[in-house]
Amino acid sequence: MNISTRWLREWVSPDVSDLELSEKLTMAGLEVDQIAPVAPPFEGLVVGHVVSCSKHPNADKLSLCEVDIGIGENLQIICGAPNVRQDLKVAVATVGSVLPNKLKIKRAKLRGVESNGMLCSESEMGVSDSHEGIIELDANSKIGDDVRSVLDLDDQIIELDITPNRGDCFSVLGVAREVCVNYDLSLPNINFKAEQKGNISFKSMVSNPKECPKYLTRIIEGVDNNASTPEWMAQKLLRASQQLHSPIVDITNYVLLELGQPMHAFDLSKINGSINVRSAKKNEKLELLNGQNVTLSEDTLVIADEKSAIAMAGVIGGMGTSTLENSTEILLESAFFEPVAIAGVARSYGLHTDASLRFERGVDFNMAHQAMERATELVLEICGGTASGINETIDSKSLPKLEPIKISIEKISKVLGFDLDSSWVESKFKFLDFDFKNNKDHSWSITPPSFRYDIRIPADIIEELARLYGYDKIPVQRLTIDSNISKALQAQIRQNDFSNVLVNRSYKEVITYSFISHEMHDLVDPNSKKILLQNPISDDMALMRSSLWPGLIHSAKSNIRRGHINLRFFEMGLCFSGLKVEDQVQKVAGIISGNRYDSQWGAKDQEVDFFDAKSDVEALLNLSKNDFIFEAAEHPALQLGQTAKIMKGKNQIGWIGALSPKLQKKLSMPKAFLFELTLSEIEQGKTPSYESFSALQASQRDIAIVVSNEVTSDELIHSIQSMKQDDLIDVNLFDVYEGEHIEQGSKSVALNLTYQSKEVTLTDEQLAEKVSKIVGHLETKFAAKLR
Amino acid sequence: MDLKALDDSRVQYLGKKGELTELLKGLGKLSKEERPKMGEAINEAKVQIQKLIESRKEELEDIALNQRLLSEKIDVTLPSRNSERGSLHPITQTLNHIQDIFTKAGFEIEIGPEIEDDFHNFSALNIPEHHPARAMHDTFYFDSNTVLRTHTSPVQIRTLERQKPPVRIIVPGKVYRCDSDITHTPMFHQVEGLIVDKEASFSQLKGLLIDFLRAYFEKEDLKVRFRPSYFPFTEPSAEADIECVICGGEGCRVCKKSGWLEVLGCGVVHPNVLKAVNVDSEEYSGFAFGMGVERLAMLRYGVNDLRLFFENDVRFLNQF
Repeated sequence: MNISTRWLREWVSPDVSDLELSEKLTMAGLEVDQIAPVAPPFEGLVVGHVVSCSKHPNADKLSLCEVDIGIGENLQIICGAPNVRQDLKVAVATVGSVLPNKLKIKRAKLRGVESNGMLCSESEMGVSDSHEGIIELDANSKIGDDVRSVLDLDDQIIELDITPNRGDCFSVLGVAREVCVNYDLSLPNINFKAEQKGNISFKSMVSNPKECPKYLTRIIEGVDNNASTPEWMAQKLLRASQQLHSPIVDITNYVLLELGQPMHAFDLSKINGSINVRSAKKNEKLELLNGQNVTLSEDTLVIADEKSAIAMAGVIGGMGTSTLENSTEILLESAFFEPVAIAGVARSYGLHTDASLRFERGVDFNMAHQAMERATELVLEICGGTASGINETIDSKSLPKLEPIKISIEKISKVLGFDLDSSWVESKFKFLDFDFKNNKDHSWSITPPSFRYDIRIPADIIEELARLYGYDKIPVQRLTIDSNISKALQAQIRQNDFSNVLVNRSYKEVITYSFISHEMHDLVDPNSKKILLQNPISDDMALMRSSLWPGLIHSAKSNIRRGHINLRFFEMGLCFSGLKVEDQVQKVAGIISGNRYDSQWGAKDQEVDFFDAKSDVEALLNLSKNDFIFEAAEHPALQLGQTAKIMKGKNQIGWIGALSPKLQKKLSMPKAFLFELTLSEIEQGKTPSYESFSALQASQRDIAIVVSNEVTSDELIHSIQSMKQDDLIDVNLFDVYEGEHIEQGSKSVALNLTYQSKEVTLTDEQLAEKVSKIVGHLETKFAAKLR
Repeated sequence: MDLKALDDSRVQYLGKKGELTELLKGLGKLSKEERPKMGEAINEAKVQIQKLIESRKEELEDIALNQRLLSEKIDVTLPSRNSERGSLHPITQTLNHIQDIFTKAGFEIEIGPEIEDDFHNFSALNIPEHHPARAMHDTFYFDSNTVLRTHTSPVQIRTLERQKPPVRIIVPGKVYRCDSDITHTPMFHQVEGLIVDKEASFSQLKGLLIDFLRAYFEKEDLKVRFRPSYFPFTEPSAEADIECVICGGEGCRVCKKSGWLEVLGCGVVHPNVLKAVNVDSEEYSGFAFGMGVERLAMLRYGVNDLRLFFENDVRFLNQF
């Protein structure tokens, strides 16, 4: 909310600068986003009177003016504004003055005619963006006066960021009340009373008293809505960022800003019969003041006449019954709607109005009458007319209940961590309008005022006291030592350990959005369930990722496009297969593309391949000291024949493979390799358990066999290991060869076997026998031939 | 003379048919008296020659080695292989920094789901349906009861459902708001903190957060101020500002000329929150705080555009 300090100070004016005042408000919880003068600094602008105005002899669009600024002789000034005319009071920038846009006014010749100053527009003074000609000052302005003071340009606008609990501060009165509490000042009494000459009553009933406990109306006849809104009011409204309309509407807006009570004015002649405040009927339609046509939902509270809904209660009026320039009979409305009845209503229609903002947060239920009197007073003053009495429909038992809140000084001290003085506390209760009673047990019972919806429990009172004491003055204490030693699982591998493995292998970590496009989902992981957002920001972010690959591919692609072609990226984050907690799984994934290293003087460029990715994956898996198996598999995003699933026992825990050529083409990506692992499956390591090792020498034996291409390396090794041969401590595959001298469809595989006994040194004969058993096994199982 | 010539000399004098060997062979022809003298002289000469040859050999080998070293000289400033540096994302680095500070103060790290139900994200945190605070949250919905968490606060609830006080946790994680412009990304990171204990007061909250902010910005005299604010799940609530680390409090564009930067929200846990998880608010009290990680990272690293964090441009990532 924007509020001018001039307006505020009409209510209460502590003896401090505007800047100090705004800092005080911030420290009291009414955060000042900004405080800025109405106009930036400038000097030398005075009120002038256009004595004569004629066409410039050499230019069609320029006028030649004689301007009196009260210095004896008139100034000759050339002006290009279309609205310059004789007898106008204008803002004259005299020679030597500097405008906010740094323009220095000099004596100049325009098309051969001398000009001794400039007539200014609002934008040139920095007051607004309006370029529509020069500013037209009030005809009564005194010639030669400083324009700053005439236009009250030293007024400052405070931009307040009011938190949802402080609905009571959405008005000048509310902020003034807050200023009083903070400076120990008291607020002037408000007691508005309008002259009442008419005696036409108006009938209204309230079908939903719980939602509308108070509904006040008043008829004012014979108003002139063609009158103009007075300058003092217009200025205050504009400085509160409120646009001007007709005087009647301006008056209701003014009362809203001044007292915080939203009001509405109906054109009485357009209302059919009496009014009922009720819930909307099924499919009931209403054209709103902003021109929007809505179909009301049945839980929306409306103001209706005998025919149809004419306003959305507490939110916005209807077009059909709105006041126009020619309206002469008006019905003023001042009501109290329950916050719960209004909350969320405006938003459900895509609306956000000054009225709904206040009713949602809570309007003082004792303000409706005062506001009605105030608005009436202003209508009579500005538009004339005859006011009748106020019609009141009140259901007292539906008004908010103000229950006493019990609190003790001990409780206050405990929560705040230091002691407050009881008499200081009581003095603050008074300034806060808290009605308090001293109980026998030395506690207080406090009844909050009707405008404070945020004071309902003891904690609310503690906050009031803390902020009035000053958060900054509250002493600082250290935490007491908590000697609980948390569980420390040594075998648990931390996420940072995984990250560090990859960082040490030249990977850069990326963080991408958790939502992706349908297209990426369909390309990368089409078989997983789509978790759709109801209200995505855009189609590119329509659903939750089931895999980290879309984000990684996107990051790789945009960097490759910028020329960074050798890259290794990884990401860690949740992937989603459903809405439940257990459907949200932490994964780690990576992508590599381009060359293994950046070009280097001593080495040939080598493109990354499957085994680069595989070694990075193994580096991650090895942290846990568990056994994992890579099994050839198929994945929609990966290239057939270069894809493996990663297994831990019977559980699949990840994927690795080359980005399929089809996706490469669709995504304009170069060759790339991807992997992804489920973290929960690999973060459980093993606590080491020592086993003694043999002191005897190990012996190596190599064998080379020819087997079918279909036999995988893992199959051979696992098959040998499954023989559980005594003293065989390692099997290592060290060469694979296909081509000349090897039958088509077959390959030669060289294996290194390491034998070591704990008891004896193995003889050549013993070793030969063991090796031949292995060869025999491979011959039987894989039709292997010894080379 | 090279090693070969030296060896030739050795053979010439000391070899099987060398001159000294020949002389030794000829000793037999000498008289008994002459024989020992001559033998001694020859051996003496042999030792001398051997010594000379050895020393010469060493000299020659040194020369050869020096020549080899010279020929093997490299430009040690040439680039190495595979020196590409990996990096952790600046957000991760910031999270690590924050976590390190709090774990030293005895905090446990808790995490929670990002797809949350209404109860944990709103109701249990004292944000009932239609509460104006919900409008501030710009929530992403899956269905009427399921949202992307708008803050890390639901993990307060999840932890207190599982664990009896005392509780001392921080919660790092991603959060989501349906908002995207120059200063908002639809996903960002928060760290939430919660203490529930028999004696947990506002003064302690202040002390802890001042210590934290000074440790985080590594500035022992960093000015910190607390001012009242509003969060549905804390009462009293506060926001903490630090002196602008860009201009040192003089006033600049980043701090909107105020000299202060808002960096975290905090407060005493609202009794309704404790009630939602069946913690007796007469026996226990607590305080909570939450901070935006991107903001802390931007201030610490001087990053001026929030969106850079999620563009993952290597020219950006390389700097961390």
